[in-house]
Amino acid sequence: MSTGLDPHRVVSGSQFGWQPEVVPFTTIPELFARRAAELGDAPMMRQKDLGIWRAYSWREVETIASEIGAGLVRLGFEPGEVVSVLANTRREWVWTDLGTLMAGGVCNGVYPTDSAAQLQYLCGDSACVYLFVENDEQLDKFLEVRDRLPRIRKVVVFDMEGLSNLDDPQVIGLDTLRELGRLELKERPDAIVGRRGARKPGDVAILVYTSGTTGKPKGAMISHANLCAVLSGLSTSLFEGIPAGGERVAFLPLCHIAERMIGGYVPIMRGEVVNFVENPETVFENVREIQPHVFFAVPRVWEKIYSQVMITLSEAGKVQQLAYKWAMGVGERVAQARAEGGEPQGTLKLQSRLANFLVLDNVRRMTGMSRVRMGLTGAAPISPALIRWYQSLGVPLREGWGMTETCAGGTVTPRTRIRPGSIGVPGPGIEMRIAEGTNEILLRGPNVILGYLNQPEKTAETIDRDGWLHTGDVGRVDDDGFFYITDRMKDIIITAGGKNITPSEWENELKFSPYVTDVVMIGDKRAFLTALVMIDQENVEKFAQDHDVPFTNYASLTRAKEVQDLIWREIESVNGKFARVEQVKKFRLIEQQLTAEDEELTPTMKLKRALVQKKYAELIEGMYRD
Amino acid sequence: MSGAPILRLANVESAYGPIKAIRGVSLEVAPGEIATVLGSNGAGKTTILKTISGIIDPRRGSVEFKGESITAMDPALVVQRGLSHVPEGREVFPLLSVHDNLLMGAYTRKDRDQVARDMETVFGYFPILRERAAQNAGLLSGGQQQMLAISRAIMAAPELILLDEPSLGLSPRLTKEIFEIIVRINRERGTSMLLVEQNANMALNAADYGYVIENGRIVMGDTCAVLREKDDIKEFYLGMKEQGTRGERRWKKKKTWR
Repeated sequence: MSTGLDPHRVVSGSQFGWQPEVVPFTTIPELFARRAAELGDAPMMRQKDLGIWRAYSWREVETIASEIGAGLVRLGFEPGEVVSVLANTRREWVWTDLGTLMAGGVCNGVYPTDSAAQLQYLCGDSACVYLFVENDEQLDKFLEVRDRLPRIRKVVVFDMEGLSNLDDPQVIGLDTLRELGRLELKERPDAIVGRRGARKPGDVAILVYTSGTTGKPKGAMISHANLCAVLSGLSTSLFEGIPAGGERVAFLPLCHIAERMIGGYVPIMRGEVVNFVENPETVFENVREIQPHVFFAVPRVWEKIYSQVMITLSEAGKVQQLAYKWAMGVGERVAQARAEGGEPQGTLKLQSRLANFLVLDNVRRMTGMSRVRMGLTGAAPISPALIRWYQSLGVPLREGWGMTETCAGGTVTPRTRIRPGSIGVPGPGIEMRIAEGTNEILLRGPNVILGYLNQPEKTAETIDRDGWLHTGDVGRVDDDGFFYITDRMKDIIITAGGKNITPSEWENELKFSPYVTDVVMIGDKRAFLTALVMIDQENVEKFAQDHDVPFTNYASLTRAKEVQDLIWREIESVNGKFARVEQVKKFRLIEQQLTAEDEELTPTMKLKRALVQKKYAELIEGMYRD
Repeated sequence: MSGAPILRLANVESAYGPIKAIRGVSLEVAPGEIATVLGSNGAGKTTILKTISGIIDPRRGSVEFKGESITAMDPALVVQRGLSHVPEGREVFPLLSVHDNLLMGAYTRKDRDQVARDMETVFGYFPILRERAAQNAGLLSGGQQQMLAISRAIMAAPELILLDEPSLGLSPRLTKEIFEIIVRINRERGTSMLLVEQNANMALNAADYGYVIENGRIVMGDTCAVLREKDDIKEFYLGMKEQGTRGERRWKKKKTWR
């Protein structure tokens, strides 16, 4: 990079010919009503009942959502009031979301892994009046704190199993609510249709609480206009040249803005069928079953699929390993040709056919990626090597960047110009620039949220008077207008030697190892860099078993010398790609096996940097003592 | 644990045909101690014992007894080295007398005098067996058969006894008695024991060191005093639950094993 272009200039989506589509709707209920009328009896979503996929047509979902909305109206729900949903990603979540919006309400999500205390904070802060919970387990969280939530009028339970003996006037089942809704619609057929005008495009539609690695969670107020702005940009950027429709799998939490958009509203916009996974543990089986056309996942999932292939390969015979190596080499050259805007020609074309037939098709089918025409990673940084690997495999994986505060809109790599390492270019209607001095990425556009609920001072800190959102990400832009993220602003390490280090680049390289799930680099105001590493249990166990390393459980696995040596070898090979001051000199393994319920992890299973540093302070000090 | 372990399993994998029953089990029994393996039905407990005594040959890994490998060794030779197995469901010889059953336990021994003394000892532990010595073993009650099975194992003068669910099908009172005698045998004779049990409460009180196995993998290993205080053990093995606000609870907490 160099040349005369101003590194702090404004770059906008329109510079790439990306214009927002003119759409005939201004709110989500309007959009949904249109699609339901167009697509009618075609399937809209599927979910398994006792192991068998059950499909729901657009019309069916519209009826169900109307009943939920009308049921709320009958209970006394007013436009602008807040409903919260505490459930895993499943059909009832989307039904409730749509029903709430159709009744003119605001829908807020609570992570199913949140504790009772967190539930209390979120319901209190959002002034929630109706709470929808998944089952008895989630209901118990509410019952624990119900005394402190006087605003909540009724709790609706999706799955009443185990609750038939419950006698609590405040708790009803979803079926009961729908019954009330049917009654209401019978008496007043316009109960829901009449509310269509109750909310204006500029009104809040949904609340999304940011996971808040520091301080209390902040409720981002997202308007119908924000949502519609992102939706109207899809077909010219993210889905440029990709036919509408197809299958997709929803499994990330719907309270997260990424899945809320891509698993909730985008499929409505694009007429895609959403398949809900059975539970968070069956994601990979379900993906294989469905073979989706559109697949969005966080880097951790893409990493996991990659390491599964690597492990399978290590068990394969010599011939298979050679065939794989050759086929991936061909795949890489094909991807190279495509990145330059062409299609493979001549010998390469023939080789490519053979490689697909012998190897690549099988690998894609085995991982559930055989039909993917739009693969997307986001919500966390990813190693460029991983994107290249998927490209070689023939899975068109692209990187996008967005955040709650941008309603998941932001940048995406254009389909025909993939640049691993770059997050792409600004989407339609979006302007971006790098701030002078801090190099923070700033963004302006119709997708920027209204602000944080109840926290005007935080809003003012984040969105300046000219409408620029301060994203907290530090980065740069190249001469072609492609953006690159260096790191989160608050994560940048300044060593005792005064050197600025951006940890995520090194961390992402290490996370590429099949034996490493997550890592946090440490070294602020220290003489050298160290790292806390979380191992991948399955793969390290397999390593131990193959190399006769005795272990009893997770903790003893992390203590085994051979495992420590294994991770050190992985670290050294990553270190080789970095300058001396950027190399990690020591590391420790986290001995505790962490789950999504643990405070150390975000709901998307990322280690919380600040919390980990505090919690494992003793372990960290140990590295700097001797 | 102190001293070199009398029994050491390293990365043992055993399978029934294509089904792996245990996947990479490593555990140790210290000399003179009782170790226990807890786990639900089908977790792989019995397979561990069968692999140790040579009834099943492991796919991978090694079994060391008194510092020497007994991996995949013939069961008869394992017994001669001083390791006896009390199988699940007693497996006494029903048509032999109690006396002859006990002599079968001593089949591999040559020291007649010591055998006679051991016979006296087991009659001391279980007086009922002396009364029934001439009766066919098949006519004994379940508890008595369990006593006989343990006694038969002692008759081989082992240094380590593998006990597979001694409480199976016994009344609580009988279970308590059997466990008391197991501990007594351990204390008086210094015999090490590896005890596999579903009755976690009994096993954790009798044993010094415990392992928890799930789906063929060890998920936890610690002294029994520590294990008894773990939340997961309390909830899933000892049946102590925090009551929810509703006073009843159907859902299970997720196990974290820490």
